[in-house]
Amino acid sequence: MRRLCVGVLILTIGFVSSGCVRVKPWERDLLARRDMAWEPDGLEAKREAHIYFSKEASMPGGSGGGGGCGCN
Amino acid sequence: MTAFSLRRIATRVTISFFLTAQIALALEAGDRAPAFAAPALGGKGTVELSKYRGKVVYLDFWASWCAPCLVAIPEIEKMRSEFPSEDFQIIAVNLDQKEKKALRFLSKNPVGYPSASDPKGRLPGQYGVDTMPTSYLIDREGVIRYVHRGFQRGDGAKLREEIRALLEAGR
Repeated sequence: MRRLCVGVLILTIGFVSSGCVRVKPWERDLLARRDMAWEPDGLEAKREAHIYFSKEASMPGGSGGGGGCGCN
Repeated sequence: MTAFSLRRIATRVTISFFLTAQIALALEAGDRAPAFAAPALGGKGTVELSKYRGKVVYLDFWASWCAPCLVAIPEIEKMRSEFPSEDFQIIAVNLDQKEKKALRFLSKNPVGYPSASDPKGRLPGQYGVDTMPTSYLIDREGVIRYVHRGFQRGDGAKLREEIRALLEAGR
Protein backbone atom coordinates (compact mmCIF):
# COMPACT_ATOMS: atom_id res chain seq x y z
CA MET A 1 0.00 0.00 0.00
CA ARG A 2 2.82 2.37 0.95
CA ARG A 3 4.62 1.55 -2.28
CA LEU A 4 1.48 2.34 -4.26
CA CYS A 5 1.12 5.71 -2.53
CA VAL A 6 4.75 6.62 -3.30
CA GLY A 7 4.23 5.59 -6.92
CA VAL A 8 1.07 7.68 -7.25
CA LEU A 9 2.86 10.64 -5.60
CA ILE A 10 5.81 10.43 -8.01
CA LEU A 11 3.50 10.20 -11.00
CA THR A 12 1.41 13.14 -9.76
CA ILE A 13 4.51 15.31 -9.23
CA GLY A 14 5.75 14.26 -12.65
CA PHE A 15 2.57 15.11 -14.48
CA VAL A 16 2.00 18.35 -12.60
CA SER A 17 5.57 19.60 -13.11
CA SER A 18 5.64 18.68 -16.80
CA GLY A 19 2.28 20.40 -17.28
CA CYS A 20 3.70 23.81 -16.34
CA VAL A 21 4.28 25.60 -19.62
CA ARG A 22 6.69 28.48 -19.80
CA VAL A 23 5.98 31.13 -22.41
CA LYS A 24 9.04 31.02 -24.61
CA PRO A 25 10.78 34.29 -25.45
CA TRP A 26 9.63 34.15 -29.07
CA GLU A 27 6.00 33.55 -28.07
CA ARG A 28 5.52 36.87 -26.28
CA ASP A 29 3.80 38.56 -29.19
CA LEU A 30 0.55 39.44 -27.41
CA LEU A 31 2.20 39.87 -24.01
CA ALA A 32 4.53 42.48 -25.51
CA ARG A 33 1.61 44.68 -26.51
CA ARG A 34 1.42 48.04 -24.80
CA ASP A 35 -2.09 47.41 -23.48
CA MET A 36 -0.89 44.20 -21.81
CA ALA A 37 1.58 46.10 -19.63
CA TRP A 38 0.82 46.43 -15.93
CA GLU A 39 1.23 50.20 -16.30
CA PRO A 40 0.88 51.07 -19.98
CA ASP A 41 1.59 54.76 -19.37
CA GLY A 42 4.55 55.32 -17.05
CA LEU A 43 3.99 59.06 -16.65
CA GLU A 44 0.29 58.64 -15.89
CA ALA A 45 1.07 55.91 -13.33
CA LYS A 46 3.61 58.15 -11.60
CA ARG A 47 1.12 61.02 -11.46
CA GLU A 48 -1.58 58.81 -9.97
CA ALA A 49 0.84 57.39 -7.41
CA HIS A 50 1.80 60.92 -6.40
CA ILE A 51 -1.84 61.94 -5.92
CA TYR A 52 -2.46 58.75 -3.96
CA PHE A 53 0.35 59.11 -1.46
CA SER A 54 -0.25 62.83 -1.07
CA LYS A 55 -3.91 62.20 -0.20
CA GLU A 56 -3.12 59.29 2.04
CA ALA A 57 -0.26 61.18 3.70
CA SER A 58 1.84 58.09 3.37
CA MET A 59 5.56 58.03 3.00
CA PRO A 60 7.20 56.28 1.15
CA GLY A 61 4.71 56.36 -1.69
CA GLY A 62 1.68 54.16 -2.14
CA SER A 63 3.40 50.83 -1.83
CA GLY A 64 5.18 51.01 1.51
CA GLY A 65 4.26 51.28 5.14
CA GLY A 66 4.62 54.30 7.37
CA GLY A 67 3.10 57.78 7.47
CA GLY A 68 4.24 61.26 6.63
CA CYS A 69 3.22 64.85 6.13
CA GLY A 70 1.82 64.31 2.62
CA CYS A 71 3.55 67.47 1.53
CA ASN A 72 5.94 65.96 -1.03
CA MET B 1 23.92 -3.55 -6.41
CA THR B 2 20.83 -4.16 -4.35
CA ALA B 3 17.29 -4.01 -5.65
CA PHE B 4 16.66 -1.12 -3.24
CA SER B 5 19.39 1.13 -4.66
CA LEU B 6 18.33 0.28 -8.23
CA ARG B 7 14.83 1.35 -7.38
CA ARG B 8 16.13 4.54 -5.84
CA ILE B 9 18.13 5.37 -8.97
CA ALA B 10 15.12 4.64 -11.19
CA THR B 11 12.95 6.95 -9.09
CA ARG B 12 15.49 9.77 -9.29
CA VAL B 13 15.90 9.37 -13.05
CA THR B 14 12.12 9.48 -13.52
CA ILE B 15 11.74 12.61 -11.40
CA SER B 16 14.60 14.42 -13.12
CA PHE B 17 13.19 13.46 -16.54
CA PHE B 18 9.88 15.13 -15.73
CA LEU B 19 11.53 18.17 -14.20
CA THR B 20 13.98 18.78 -17.03
CA ALA B 21 11.61 17.91 -19.85
CA GLN B 22 11.04 21.57 -20.67
CA ILE B 23 14.50 23.00 -20.20
CA ALA B 24 16.12 23.52 -23.57
CA LEU B 25 19.86 24.03 -23.68
CA ALA B 26 20.97 27.34 -25.14
CA LEU B 27 23.78 27.12 -27.65
CA GLU B 28 26.94 28.93 -26.66
CA ALA B 29 30.25 29.92 -28.25
CA GLY B 30 32.08 26.77 -29.34
CA ASP B 31 28.91 24.85 -30.29
CA ARG B 32 28.19 23.92 -33.87
CA ALA B 33 25.38 26.00 -35.39
CA PRO B 34 22.51 23.69 -36.40
CA ALA B 35 21.99 23.79 -40.17
CA PHE B 36 18.56 24.89 -41.33
CA ALA B 37 16.52 25.71 -44.39
CA ALA B 38 13.40 27.80 -43.80
CA PRO B 39 10.98 29.59 -46.12
CA ALA B 40 11.96 33.16 -46.82
CA LEU B 41 9.85 35.92 -45.34
CA GLY B 42 7.38 37.03 -48.00
CA GLY B 43 7.43 33.59 -49.62
CA LYS B 44 10.30 33.94 -52.07
CA GLY B 45 12.38 30.74 -51.92
CA THR B 46 14.19 29.42 -48.86
CA VAL B 47 16.95 30.67 -46.60
CA GLU B 48 19.65 28.09 -45.98
CA LEU B 49 22.47 28.45 -43.50
CA SER B 50 24.71 25.90 -45.26
CA LYS B 51 24.69 28.04 -48.41
CA TYR B 52 26.94 30.52 -46.62
CA ARG B 53 29.56 28.04 -45.37
CA GLY B 54 32.97 29.62 -45.87
CA LYS B 55 31.70 33.06 -44.84
CA VAL B 56 31.35 34.59 -41.41
CA VAL B 57 27.59 34.58 -40.72
CA TYR B 58 25.64 36.84 -38.38
CA LEU B 59 22.36 35.10 -37.55
CA ASP B 60 19.71 37.30 -35.96
CA PHE B 61 16.42 36.15 -34.42
CA TRP B 62 13.86 38.95 -34.43
CA ALA B 63 10.16 39.80 -34.31
CA SER B 64 8.22 42.98 -35.08
CA TRP B 65 6.70 43.12 -31.56
CA CYS B 66 10.14 43.09 -29.91
CA ALA B 67 11.28 46.68 -29.34
CA PRO B 68 15.04 45.99 -28.97
CA CYS B 69 14.93 43.91 -32.18
CA LEU B 70 13.69 46.98 -34.02
CA VAL B 71 16.54 49.04 -32.55
CA ALA B 72 19.00 46.38 -33.73
CA ILE B 73 17.82 46.06 -37.33
CA PRO B 74 18.99 49.45 -38.67
CA GLU B 75 22.33 48.88 -36.92
CA ILE B 76 22.68 45.40 -38.45
CA GLU B 77 21.84 46.80 -41.86
CA LYS B 78 24.57 49.40 -41.39
CA MET B 79 27.06 46.64 -40.50
CA ARG B 80 26.16 44.76 -43.67
CA SER B 81 27.58 47.54 -45.81
CA GLU B 82 30.69 47.93 -43.64
CA PHE B 83 32.08 44.43 -44.21
CA PRO B 84 32.89 42.76 -47.54
CA SER B 85 29.96 40.68 -48.81
CA GLU B 86 32.28 37.91 -50.08
CA ASP B 87 33.39 37.28 -46.48
CA PHE B 88 30.41 38.28 -44.38
CA GLN B 89 26.72 37.41 -44.53
CA ILE B 90 23.77 38.42 -42.38
CA ILE B 91 20.76 36.13 -42.08
CA ALA B 92 17.67 36.91 -40.04
CA VAL B 93 14.97 34.62 -38.74
CA ASN B 94 11.65 36.33 -38.17
CA LEU B 95 9.44 34.85 -35.45
CA ASP B 96 6.21 36.79 -35.98
CA GLN B 97 3.15 34.59 -36.02
CA LYS B 98 1.63 36.89 -38.61
CA GLU B 99 4.07 37.44 -41.43
CA LYS B 100 2.42 40.66 -42.57
CA LYS B 101 3.47 42.46 -39.36
CA ALA B 102 7.12 41.73 -40.17
CA LEU B 103 6.66 42.70 -43.81
CA ARG B 104 5.02 45.97 -42.76
CA PHE B 105 8.05 46.83 -40.59
CA LEU B 106 10.48 45.87 -43.36
CA SER B 107 8.62 47.95 -45.94
CA LYS B 108 9.37 51.01 -43.78
CA ASN B 109 12.89 49.86 -42.83
CA PRO B 110 14.17 47.90 -45.82
CA VAL B 111 17.20 45.64 -45.35
CA GLY B 112 19.52 44.03 -47.86
CA TYR B 113 19.89 40.64 -46.17
CA PRO B 114 17.61 37.60 -46.34
CA SER B 115 15.10 36.88 -43.61
CA ALA B 116 13.55 33.48 -42.99
CA SER B 117 10.09 33.12 -41.55
CA ASP B 118 9.56 30.72 -38.65
CA PRO B 119 6.16 31.43 -37.09
CA LYS B 120 6.14 28.14 -35.18
CA GLY B 121 9.47 28.87 -33.47
CA ARG B 122 11.23 25.67 -34.58
CA LEU B 123 14.62 27.33 -35.09
CA PRO B 124 14.83 29.33 -31.84
CA GLY B 125 13.97 26.07 -30.10
CA GLN B 126 16.92 24.37 -31.77
CA TYR B 127 19.27 27.20 -30.90
CA GLY B 128 17.86 27.59 -27.40
CA VAL B 129 17.08 31.29 -27.78
CA ASP B 130 16.37 32.62 -24.28
CA THR B 131 16.16 36.35 -24.95
CA MET B 132 14.73 38.45 -27.74
CA PRO B 133 16.62 39.39 -29.78
CA THR B 134 19.49 36.91 -29.78
CA SER B 135 22.12 36.84 -32.48
CA TYR B 136 24.88 34.36 -33.24
CA LEU B 137 28.18 35.06 -34.91
CA ILE B 138 29.16 31.90 -36.80
CA ASP B 139 32.63 31.30 -38.21
CA ARG B 140 33.53 29.94 -41.66
CA GLU B 141 33.42 26.36 -40.38
CA GLY B 142 29.90 26.70 -38.97
CA VAL B 143 30.90 27.04 -35.32
CA ILE B 144 29.25 29.67 -33.11
CA ARG B 145 31.91 32.10 -31.89
CA TYR B 146 29.86 34.76 -30.16
CA VAL B 147 26.31 35.02 -28.81
CA HIS B 148 24.72 38.45 -28.35
CA ARG B 149 21.63 38.54 -26.15
CA GLY B 150 19.34 41.55 -26.19
CA PHE B 151 20.25 44.78 -27.92
CA GLN B 152 20.87 48.31 -26.73
CA ARG B 153 22.05 51.40 -28.52
CA GLY B 154 25.82 51.24 -28.52
CA ASP B 155 26.04 47.45 -28.81
CA GLY B 156 27.05 47.86 -32.46
CA ALA B 157 30.64 48.69 -31.47
CA LYS B 158 31.11 45.40 -29.60
CA LEU B 159 29.52 43.46 -32.47
CA ARG B 160 31.75 45.12 -35.04
CA GLU B 161 34.79 44.26 -32.95
CA GLU B 162 33.76 40.59 -32.80
CA ILE B 163 33.02 40.43 -36.53
CA ARG B 164 36.31 42.09 -37.40
CA ALA B 165 38.26 39.68 -35.19
CA LEU B 166 36.54 36.69 -36.78
CA LEU B 167 37.09 37.96 -40.32
CA GLU B 168 40.77 38.49 -39.62
CA ALA B 169 41.17 35.11 -37.89
CA GLY B 170 40.00 33.27 -41.00
CA ARG B 171 42.46 34.93 -43.37
